[in-house]
Amino acid sequence: MAANAGNKIRNAKLVLLGDVGAGKSSLVLRFVKGQFVEFQESTIGAAFFSQTLAVNDETVKFEIWDTAGQERYHSLAPMYYRGAAAAIVVYDITNPASFTRAKKWVQELQAQGNSSTVVALAGNKADLLETRQVQIEEAKTYAQENGLFFMETSAKTAINVNDIFYEIAKRLIQGQPAQNPQAGMVLSQRPNERLVSSSSCCS
Amino acid sequence: MDKKKAVDDTEPGPTPSWPVDRFGFIKPEQGSSPDGISKSTSVHERERERDERRLRKWRKMIGVGGSDWKHYVRRNPHVVKRRIRKGIPDRLRGLVWQLISGSRDLLLMNPGVYETLVIYETSASELEIIRDISRTFPSHIFFQQRHGPGQRSLYNVLKAYSVYDRDVGYVQGMGFLAGLLLLYMSEEDAFWLLVALLKGAVHAPMEGLYQAGLPLVQQYLYQFEKLVLEHMPKLGQHFIEEMINPSMYASQWFITVFSYSFPFHLTVRVWDVFLYEGIKVVFQVGLALLRFCHDELVKLPFEKLLHAFRNFPEEATDPDVLLPLAFTFKVSSHLEELEKEYQKRLEGSNASTSTKRSQPLKLKTMSRIASRAFGNSTNNSEK
Repeated sequence: MAANAGNKIRNAKLVLLGDVGAGKSSLVLRFVKGQFVEFQESTIGAAFFSQTLAVNDETVKFEIWDTAGQERYHSLAPMYYRGAAAAIVVYDITNPASFTRAKKWVQELQAQGNSSTVVALAGNKADLLETRQVQIEEAKTYAQENGLFFMETSAKTAINVNDIFYEIAKRLIQGQPAQNPQAGMVLSQRPNERLVSSSSCCS
Repeated sequence: MDKKKAVDDTEPGPTPSWPVDRFGFIKPEQGSSPDGISKSTSVHERERERDERRLRKWRKMIGVGGSDWKHYVRRNPHVVKRRIRKGIPDRLRGLVWQLISGSRDLLLMNPGVYETLVIYETSASELEIIRDISRTFPSHIFFQQRHGPGQRSLYNVLKAYSVYDRDVGYVQGMGFLAGLLLLYMSEEDAFWLLVALLKGAVHAPMEGLYQAGLPLVQQYLYQFEKLVLEHMPKLGQHFIEEMINPSMYASQWFITVFSYSFPFHLTVRVWDVFLYEGIKVVFQVGLALLRFCHDELVKLPFEKLLHAFRNFPEEATDPDVLLPLAFTFKVSSHLEELEKEYQKRLEGSNASTSTKRSQPLKLKTMSRIASRAFGNSTNNSEK
């Protein structure tokens, strides 16, 4: 699937997962609208956004699902991550509990077994360096071990926000399975599927 | 633990004079909030007179401090229903909400309970609540000030509830219910109204909205999808083809009873009726929104549909247009059937769990529940 046909538009479902207050909605709003508000209203249920990004001669159109962070809303999440081409798992660098929660999300995504999903780990609130509690090396190591790509971001200052989406777009185009960046094999690339598979758990 | 401290020292001390709408929400710059529409002075004058007339009628109806209310409702239930559908005068709203929800009775039956929950109990949800406090109605003047009276009351009510029902604890979304109530009543009154709703003082209990697995959210969404298919088959079919699941647009309608991301002037009118007539109103309003935009919606693809659900046109959110339309949907008996159907499917797929029918609790048992919950929590707590 080499990028030969110029200006293809590729739809990609992307989901944001992570602890309450990690900054999922803020990341999306920074990316989609270029805005930041200090006190972002909590997300109830889920919210949808879309944004396109041009990468070389291709265009990736992200269909973004921003989910509620609280554990109690867990049962609604599978609908949003199933069939997703990409996921950004977000934690707050000033809150170790949010890093633990991020790891759980990664596990859950891996258990879903869709090896072509590109998974990014975002250490958000990178502007709050004095109150940092999750060391960058720790997250980096974890990401490497789990085949994720990792960036520290700040929705507030916009650092790395476009970059993380750009990197996802690039990887989607390359069709490189995130779990195994070294593999030269290209997995079959389906046109974005919104398919919600039946069966499978959740109370 | 206060991770935002480093960045919000811009927080003002005393409340500055931002331009706010009539409900206290800070107006967006050059915003055209619904009540900001320029109307001719004669229209304003007529509306003011109408409001005054209504207020007098209502005062007479409820009596001093609500003393005549029960009597009046018993004698003229239809008059009450009609008047509530037209909108409760804003000045009496807080009091009337307490009367129609049964929360006033709970309050009187449980003196001192709220205070004890707030002052002497600790909750496992405290940190979670704190994290959300400044993210609940952040554009309302009452909740803006960091650690101000609005945020403190909101915290207290949510904490008290999380102790009162430790199984439910605190769930995101409850803050919007509590916040809305606090704009119209005291902390203690708001707490008991929350209890009345979730434990079911007058209508079926709604705590299932917030319990593990969100069972009632799932049930309501199932019922709503079926109702859409029945009342608007073309649109319902279109949703299915576009893979629009009701969870994508309606879960917050139910979880917060339209108090989240919804025009506030409409929210309060929905609540007037919801508190009196019950959850069916949420279904009716949801259906009315879809019906109002029906011809537009059937043409839209997936993504544009999702956008449309967030941006209903201003005419659609005029309560005097939307509510009459909502009441044209007769849903009560169908909702019951669908509930049974849903429970049967659940039992079919999960034979081991028996789900209890959700019946409104009698007020008498409420006080027992209150004291029991209270007793338990005293045992559990370690000071």
